[in-house]
Amino acid sequence: MVLCFIALPVFLVLSLFSAKYRPFAKRAIDCVFKTATLRPCDTGLDEEIKAASIAGIMKISPAAASFVNRHIEAISLVFILLMLLSVVFTAEGLYNYWAYGNCNGKQGGFCPISDITNAALKVPTTVNGIFAGNQSANVTVIEFGCYTCPYTKEAEAVVRNMISEYGNRLNYVYESFPIQEHPYSREAALAGLCANDEGKYWDYRAAVFARQEDLRANGTSVLYGIAKGLNLTQFDSCMAGGKHDVQLQKNTDECAAAGIYGTPTFFVNGKPYVGQTAIFDVQKEVKRLLGE
Amino acid sequence: MDANKLRADFPVLQSSRAIYFDSACTSLKPRAVIDAEAAYYSELSACAGRSHHALAKRTDEKFAASRERIAKFVGAKPDELVFTKNTSEGLNLVIRSLNYSSRKKVVATPLEHHSLLLPIMEQKRRGIVNMEMLRVLPDGTIDEASLSAIDRSTALVAIHHTTNTTGMRAPLEKIVKAAHDAGAMVLIDGAQGVPHSRVDFRKLGADFLAFSGHKMCGPTGIGCLVGKKEAFEKLDTFIVGGETVETVSLNEVKWKAAPKRFEAGIQNYAGAIGLAAACDYLAKAGMENIEKHEREMAGKLISAIQSIPNSTIYGSTSAPRCALVSFNLKGVPPHQAALMADSLSKIALRSGVFCAEPGANALGFGKGAVRASLYLYNTEEEVRTFAETMQKIAKIG
Repeated sequence: MVLCFIALPVFLVLSLFSAKYRPFAKRAIDCVFKTATLRPCDTGLDEEIKAASIAGIMKISPAAASFVNRHIEAISLVFILLMLLSVVFTAEGLYNYWAYGNCNGKQGGFCPISDITNAALKVPTTVNGIFAGNQSANVTVIEFGCYTCPYTKEAEAVVRNMISEYGNRLNYVYESFPIQEHPYSREAALAGLCANDEGKYWDYRAAVFARQEDLRANGTSVLYGIAKGLNLTQFDSCMAGGKHDVQLQKNTDECAAAGIYGTPTFFVNGKPYVGQTAIFDVQKEVKRLLGE
Repeated sequence: MDANKLRADFPVLQSSRAIYFDSACTSLKPRAVIDAEAAYYSELSACAGRSHHALAKRTDEKFAASRERIAKFVGAKPDELVFTKNTSEGLNLVIRSLNYSSRKKVVATPLEHHSLLLPIMEQKRRGIVNMEMLRVLPDGTIDEASLSAIDRSTALVAIHHTTNTTGMRAPLEKIVKAAHDAGAMVLIDGAQGVPHSRVDFRKLGADFLAFSGHKMCGPTGIGCLVGKKEAFEKLDTFIVGGETVETVSLNEVKWKAAPKRFEAGIQNYAGAIGLAAACDYLAKAGMENIEKHEREMAGKLISAIQSIPNSTIYGSTSAPRCALVSFNLKGVPPHQAALMADSLSKIALRSGVFCAEPGANALGFGKGAVRASLYLYNTEEEVRTFAETMQKIAKIG
């Protein structure tokens, strides 16, 4: 009776790929349903699974077969617990992927789903970004970020650390990919480019991230408010005149064409990393490439 | 008879390489039977007894010849043989069609197959008959003292020739005598008897004998009810239709005599021709030789199972039986044991209560047993493999 609970998910998955497993899945469903409604399971599936398993084990070790035969209920319960645990872990992983872009949550790490979904990502044909470090360095980190994206903001501290720590050994490039759902993301991206025209980009960027919540709530007035060190006339002319509008739109279109869908998205020597915790994997990869 | 040589006649044994120990369920079919049945479809494919064209006439001749050969095989006359689809239909025909107006009691044993018990129980449910059971002793033998249950109120004694649970035979000579002394009729379930021993309807002295083709190397879907002419006359109609009547008007029907009265509609000609070929095949091997071979195999099976610690064999191990043994291994449920034997050594066994639940309860395996049932094509080497496999399986218990 207990074996059906283990057999059900196994046969359901196998049924997706081969029709020959569908009768087994049906019998497992029948058995689980009957057991759940406190009726005896009469499909015979448990006995078939038990007999086939023990016969298989017997070919290797008769003593092990005897042990399994005597403790089949307990062994089955252990497998059910393991199955339930794996269901919980899978659900947690899926939630983490949905919430953080990585199955492991905030701490990041190997995530097969991310690897599969991100494998199609490519660096856009042209990258019109803002540089830091050494453009001839062996390790290039390209970030596609959004100033009003909380995840991009979370990654910022590590990005700054890497730039300062690795200096000329790293080629860092930032390009804005304003996400429509984030309020004032496009305006902030344009403001960043206008600040860069005046050679004040990095201070302005720090100020934007520091006031991100305010910016998301109150919009362009905040962008002007934090532009203290800038020539406000020039800044306003740049913003109001739409100096970088066409270029930003072109960049955004190229990013979308390359498959970029969220921020921050990093490429470390062409290898993609996406999401809230991606920066930690980026950091690990950079360290590895630099031999640290 | 050399079982090793006979095996070459059975295509399934060549293709599957299985050890087939489930012949009580259905037997394997030799090439001669397969060819005979196929020949009907490829060479005749017409109906008998109706049309007058050449193909129909040849079909009629073949069908009649088949009836003759099958009847001869069981020591009966051709007009004493009604074709049915299996033993169950033959048993139902007699039990449901007999006239119970003057006598209502039907006597049987708890060891009977459901195919015999259920029609009686249905007649009882409808208030048509009373049912009384002969006692069965713990070793599976029928308590002869209980034959006193057969009295002047008994209409019918319905009983097995050989049980499908233990392979043991009923004391038919005494039972038939007791029944006839009381003026009752006797119906014998020959499903497990006719395939495995020389059964002569005349010598048996019973009024009816039912058996199936598929358990005796013949095709599925064909069986026979053999009966004395005067016994058939005591039966009401059963399934009626084409070719069961002499004349019909909307007010009156004149029925044909047996066997035609009981063979409604187009018959299973291919099956009958195949069954006749099976009878020829068994006759050529020799029923006495088959019986002798099965006695030897039964002895070896019993010794093999008895050598397994904590095994239980059901029924008497000293009474004569065909090569059929039901048993259990301690600590290994019967379905599991049978499935494992299939997985480990490709041994085909039956497990359960074998459509004889009251019998299983009476013998002490109400929750099931494993059944090994052998036939003329099984060998000593197969029994050795069976013994080794069962020894291994028993150790996990």
